[in-house]
Amino acid sequence: MKNNIRINELCYSTLSKDNPNSFETYVSLGGYSTWKNIVLSAYDKKEIIETVMKSGLRGRGGAGFPTGRKWSFINQDSEEIKYLVCNADESEPGTCKDRDILRYNPHALIEGMLIASYAIGADTAYCYLRGEFIDDVYSSFKVALDEAYKNKFIGKNVLNTSINIEIHDLIGAGAYIVGEETAMLESIEGKKGFPRFKPPFPAVKGLFGSPTIINNVETLASIPKIMENGPEWFNSVGTKDSPGFKCFSVSGHVNKPGNFEIPLGTPFKKLLELAGGMKNGKKIKAVIPGGSSVPVVPGEVMLETNMDYESISQAGSMLGSGAVIVMDEDTNMVEVIHRIARFYYSESCGQCTPCREGTGWMFKIIDKILCGNGNLDDIKTLESIPKMISGSTICALGDAAAMPVESFMKNYKEEFLKYIKDKKEEDLYQEKNNNKEFVLHKK
Amino acid sequence: MNDNNFYNIPSEICVKINKWLLKFPHGEKKPAIIFALHQIQKENKYIKTIHIDSVARLLDVKKIDVYEVAAFYSMFELEKIGKHTISVCTNVSCMLNGSDEILSYLEKKLNIKVGKSSDKFFLKDERECLAACAGAPMMQVNHKYYENLTKDKIDKIIRDIEDEK
Repeated sequence: MKNNIRINELCYSTLSKDNPNSFETYVSLGGYSTWKNIVLSAYDKKEIIETVMKSGLRGRGGAGFPTGRKWSFINQDSEEIKYLVCNADESEPGTCKDRDILRYNPHALIEGMLIASYAIGADTAYCYLRGEFIDDVYSSFKVALDEAYKNKFIGKNVLNTSINIEIHDLIGAGAYIVGEETAMLESIEGKKGFPRFKPPFPAVKGLFGSPTIINNVETLASIPKIMENGPEWFNSVGTKDSPGFKCFSVSGHVNKPGNFEIPLGTPFKKLLELAGGMKNGKKIKAVIPGGSSVPVVPGEVMLETNMDYESISQAGSMLGSGAVIVMDEDTNMVEVIHRIARFYYSESCGQCTPCREGTGWMFKIIDKILCGNGNLDDIKTLESIPKMISGSTICALGDAAAMPVESFMKNYKEEFLKYIKDKKEEDLYQEKNNNKEFVLHKK
Repeated sequence: MNDNNFYNIPSEICVKINKWLLKFPHGEKKPAIIFALHQIQKENKYIKTIHIDSVARLLDVKKIDVYEVAAFYSMFELEKIGKHTISVCTNVSCMLNGSDEILSYLEKKLNIKVGKSSDKFFLKDERECLAACAGAPMMQVNHKYYENLTKDKIDKIIRDIEDEK
């Protein structure tokens, strides 16, 4: 079958060029022309926000909140200091889309950060990269930032006007929770990443107590082209509630895993084709469509689903960060949820009791079942824990830990039961895993 | 804990830290803690209590503020480790592509258990997603990415490290 989908037109538009990350490549594709135009014509800030609102762009970090609306929460004209923060703490399991923007199209992100800062009236912006990017990803972003400074697109008196905007690169030190926006603010302030109570929302009281807007890398990198080509160009693809293009990271049991930027609303089948189809000709068993925090969807349901916010929600899950993890018929679902539960257990910051304790309970019970020591009561307990975590924590990590467990139990309960009933298999498993010690990264 | 001596942060690191502080509003010192710890860890391989004290002194913040950051973030090593840090991701996308085998292969090859260290290599705890899922299975060696790992690839990576002096 042929694919006639529009691919890599927005955030990945430099990907097909030589030296995709260079300043020259970006400029040759019309890059920075939008920013130049905004600066030199003293463009109306409100108009930028209106354009972004009209485009229908939704936050690409996972929550899908309309970007223009988020920006409108800030009082652009107030005299007080305001900040823009770019969330480049890409850590959601399965997600690797932002890393490719940072490596291959960093100038789109920088231009997007400039336009966003201007629109919300911020003269300082921070780009917070996850600590593990400290080597190659950070360096390539830093080179791009220096180039933009050298060409006077950033800094004092941008293009010899009275506009001043600084963009600072920051680096974390390893903590999934810092991807939560208020935890990121704490981390930038030099503290451990404990999410803050909301309200007050960051747009009112954020970084260093000042109004702050936090956006994901992909969201910000989408802005220049939306401004350049107009909101109609953007929302001419996609669906009514999910307009535009979105980057999907496809991984797992596929032939050609990778990042694909396609119109929202594209059938999952097409995306799977782009990723080279199922490995070894196996049948599809399940898909996690939006990063490990979202419910798992059975393969046959996914094959009938389109990749947009509404369709995936109808299929019982969420589009999240666009991380599509594909699993084939041989996948052991108890092992998968065991690994996912371990992740949330080790990454819970420990601030809220339901999450700190609940993630541990879930992991330990799944571990017990997997090791062949489970009983039917464990299944009941495991089913009840997610309900006690959901909605009772400061941030969404608690829900993110609860949803996968709930959905794995709902869709693949028989596999859990098999571990309890089938003694023979248990013994085999135990033998195989006897030497395996689970070392949790918990300090 | 008591190293009974004093750590003087090398002047070139102090210069870097002071430059980093310029990114933040005047008078805000804590935001440089993470950066300072990264620099000191790079210099010393791992962070000792005397390092933490020295950062607190330099930035004029409480020791506990620095200690808490050092203990919270997974990249900071508070115990002695070997020269090269290897981090194998075993999260879902990598696991589905055989990261368990990669990890056991490394354990055998380097003769160290995951989480442990020799003088030369530190095989860090099974790592969480490192954002290279399309290249699964993957690992980082001293924070450099190595993707689509096979046993042959690992042999070469380790050989290259051992050939360095």
